Amino acid sequence: MAETDREWLAKLEAQSRAKQEAFMNGIAQRLKRPRVTEAPAHPFRGAPDFWNAFEWTPEERIERFSDNWRSVGGHVARLAGYEDVRSFIAAKANEMGARYIIRQNERELADLKLEEALPDAVVSVWNSDPDTNWKARSAEADFGIVMADYAAAYTGTVAVLSSKDKGRSVSLLPTVLMIVIPAERIRTRLGEVLIGFDRAGRENLPAGIHFISGPSRSSDIENDLTIGVHGPGIVYALIVG
Amino acid sequence: MKVSMFITCLSDALFPRVGEAMVRVLAKYGVRLDFPEIQTCCGQPAFNSGYWEEARASARTILDAFEESDFVIAPSGSCIGMIHHYPKLFENDPVQLERSRRLQGKSYEFTQFLVQVLGVTDVGAEFPHKVTYHPSCHGSRLLGVKDEPMELMKNVKGLEFVPLPFAEDCCGFGGTFAVKMADISGAMVAEKADHVKETEAEVLVGLDMACLMNIAGHLRYRNEPVRVMHLAELLAEGANLL
Amino acid sequence: MSKTLTKPNTVKARAELALNDEFLRKAVKFTTERLRNGKKNASAEHGNWDEWRERGRQIRLHTIAHLDYYLNMFVNNARANGVHVHFAETGAEAVRIALEIAKHKQAKTVVKSKSMVSEELHLNHALEEIGVEAIETDLGEYIIQLAGETPSHIVIPAIHKNRHQIAELLSEVAGEKLAADTTVLAGFVRKKLRENFLEADIGMTGCNFAIAETGSMVLFENEGNARMVTTLPKTQITLMGMERIIPSFQDLEVMATLLPRSATGQKLTMYMSCITGPRREADADGPDEMHIIIVDNGRSLQLGDPEFQELLNCIRCGACLNACPVYRHIGGHAYGGTYSGPIGAVLTPALNKNVAEWDDIANASSLCGACYEACPVKIPLHEMLIYLRRRKVESGYGNKLESAGMKGFASIMRSAKRYRAALGVGKLGQKLVVRGGSIRTKLGPLKGWNAYRVTPSLPKTSFRQRFAALDEEIRQGLNEMSPEMRSRMERIVKQREQGKGGHGHG
Repeated sequence: MAETDREWLAKLEAQSRAKQEAFMNGIAQRLKRPRVTEAPAHPFRGAPDFWNAFEWTPEERIERFSDNWRSVGGHVARLAGYEDVRSFIAAKANEMGARYIIRQNERELADLKLEEALPDAVVSVWNSDPDTNWKARSAEADFGIVMADYAAAYTGTVAVLSSKDKGRSVSLLPTVLMIVIPAERIRTRLGEVLIGFDRAGRENLPAGIHFISGPSRSSDIENDLTIGVHGPGIVYALIVG
Repeated sequence: MKVSMFITCLSDALFPRVGEAMVRVLAKYGVRLDFPEIQTCCGQPAFNSGYWEEARASARTILDAFEESDFVIAPSGSCIGMIHHYPKLFENDPVQLERSRRLQGKSYEFTQFLVQVLGVTDVGAEFPHKVTYHPSCHGSRLLGVKDEPMELMKNVKGLEFVPLPFAEDCCGFGGTFAVKMADISGAMVAEKADHVKETEAEVLVGLDMACLMNIAGHLRYRNEPVRVMHLAELLAEGANLL
Repeated sequence: MSKTLTKPNTVKARAELALNDEFLRKAVKFTTERLRNGKKNASAEHGNWDEWRERGRQIRLHTIAHLDYYLNMFVNNARANGVHVHFAETGAEAVRIALEIAKHKQAKTVVKSKSMVSEELHLNHALEEIGVEAIETDLGEYIIQLAGETPSHIVIPAIHKNRHQIAELLSEVAGEKLAADTTVLAGFVRKKLRENFLEADIGMTGCNFAIAETGSMVLFENEGNARMVTTLPKTQITLMGMERIIPSFQDLEVMATLLPRSATGQKLTMYMSCITGPRREADADGPDEMHIIIVDNGRSLQLGDPEFQELLNCIRCGACLNACPVYRHIGGHAYGGTYSGPIGAVLTPALNKNVAEWDDIANASSLCGACYEACPVKIPLHEMLIYLRRRKVESGYGNKLESAGMKGFASIMRSAKRYRAALGVGKLGQKLVVRGGSIRTKLGPLKGWNAYRVTPSLPKTSFRQRFAALDEEIRQGLNEMSPEMRSRMERIVKQREQGKGGHGHG
């Protein structure tokens, strides 16, 4: 008699829970002490103090972020407002002949009204109807357009968080990735972004937090750098403000 | 003040001139080196091969020899490094452990003593040759002797220093490694000799005769006319002490 | 896909094969040099590197010392996130669990991103045996899978292959001749694997770090294949060594600072993904079901062992391989295990209960300490190698000839009298072999040594024989020590007595 998925998972969980105690006790035994069940003092949590005091001015952050992004083969455009974002994307789409565009379902991106700016292209909005295979839609897209939730200047990194309206696929499957970064979201250090997740707590974290620092790359063949191995090979950081 | 010399078995048997150079350079500053006759070997060959019981037998002669010394100086960062391992070697022997810690605290590699203890960075030497330097792994990496030899060489008149490419790479000696893994060791020393050749230096100096013997042995095997010497010899020669 | 090759069973013999492979040596040398220079520049540019190393070490030490607490916390949080967590004490157990999931899902294909644990378990082979196609998707891993080989570097798995060899392998898959051009080859793999990502039933990953406080798992990569594997298939399985834990996201900043710089010299890998459970109900991508298999497989043997516990601090950056002069000359396969280089030389015997058959790996090191210096969490690998050698001797697996030699060594070195006598005998013995002040014989104990070198002969007198006369001469002409020097020396002795090292001398 075939067991259902649910029964099967319940069986596995029972096995796992039974084993968990033995596993943890085994560790304590090897460490030659009783089980630690209270939080131990953790005096060296996170980066050294001197580092946490380090901060660039907003203008420096934009410059350093841009330098880092370019240094790994990414492109940067500094744009005054969303009107410029719209024309930049439209111009690039025309230049590269982008036919399929997918964007996250976010207000700032909706306000760009790309459908009007690019009448010949098919602009899809992530997860905007339940019957579409959104992964496949992203895979066929020439452009993926996302908002950066955060950015860190020191490493030249943006963070994108998943949700119902923000697919992981949009920043991953299209050939070209456009990341719109409101300037005020750029912090100096990666740690400033990371500590936010500690503060938010487990219950409030999205399933996927993705840090992106440039185009997909590999040096696996004779240590020769290749761009665009699996993820987008062309990435634009559009800094607004 | 009792400043004792730990000659190391290799320099004792094969390179007595290095010991002599050390004695003469230090005498220039009023240090008369004491030489406890009962010293043998630091025990490193046995220790590194895993024969700790045998290493302890050897180490005890060193603990005994330098019991009364205020400073112990050797022409080898590797053998001084071995003394730093004594506390681990005797971790289950409280008496020897205490003696080991005391010995560790007062042991110095030659240039370390010269620069850190005596405060000497210019021995008044002149050596008008093109010189390159191989920093031996144990001395530089594990003991941290990096700046001392550079400072001493910087102040030698006429010495033209040429940096050795990939200087920090091991020469391939590694004690019994050179015998047990002879082919790998041979490949490593060949690479090191290539780098020495690249510098076009007339002289290769170092602080450890084991490594220098290895490199010199290979250079000689290839009939390369590079002179290989310990920095103590260079300083002593340059200051007309040897 | 997997081809069984008979490899010689000693490091020495495998190394000999490698040393005679000119291409392999050049390729490995070229790449490790680039990587280690990249690391040096990146760590220097970042600055305060030793403080970061020390911080990384402290975080790892702390986590491992309280592993039961943090691992338990991770497990409970991951479960709360909806992850199905499994425990595997052995490799076989981990394989059994992975296969059970694959069977239950009636999986036809599994797409995999790089996982050293999976290599440890030989999981691909096991999947194939039940008819599941396992596809490695990291470019380097894909190449060596096609070649039927194992990774020879933990970060650059195909370090030993050149583009012509790779073009040949990929042309076979393509059914047409592909040019030996990196862009063409990578482009072909992109297209080919894209189909696999979209169609695979299961995505399988390793795990760089697991965050205890949130139950998140973290992956570092450059290609985007790990993101594909964790985004597209319906089921995700993560294989995680039980020691991968760090307490918090804050601690991740330290690891993110150390790992990419040490591995490739990058400030950060192109992608760093923190996955907290399967997709949320309303999400339109991400796995429906997520499993994490926590693997022991010999790791817990190091816990409570003061000489080897720090081995669990390893963050698998590969910096020790790139710094190691032995690795540079012999490459990864000569080590004979899943993990190569200095970390492999210690980890392989350690995970395998230090059984004798692995112990000869510990001999393939000159103990130069480059690995320790390169290690971002300061694992004293060069010392661990000595401990391995000692354990082998203590458990009676020492080489008989060497043991006898060492007994002789001890008997000579424990007494200055016998040591003096031995110097005398040496002088006598060498009379047979010295020619023109040096020794070139390729017979006897100097055979390996003299294959590459000329040995100096013993001088007429040893230092100890010469000392008395030298000392007499020195005594007569000794300069007065300057008062300043004298007081420096006295101060150092005094500080030492008060328990201060002075001059950073430890």
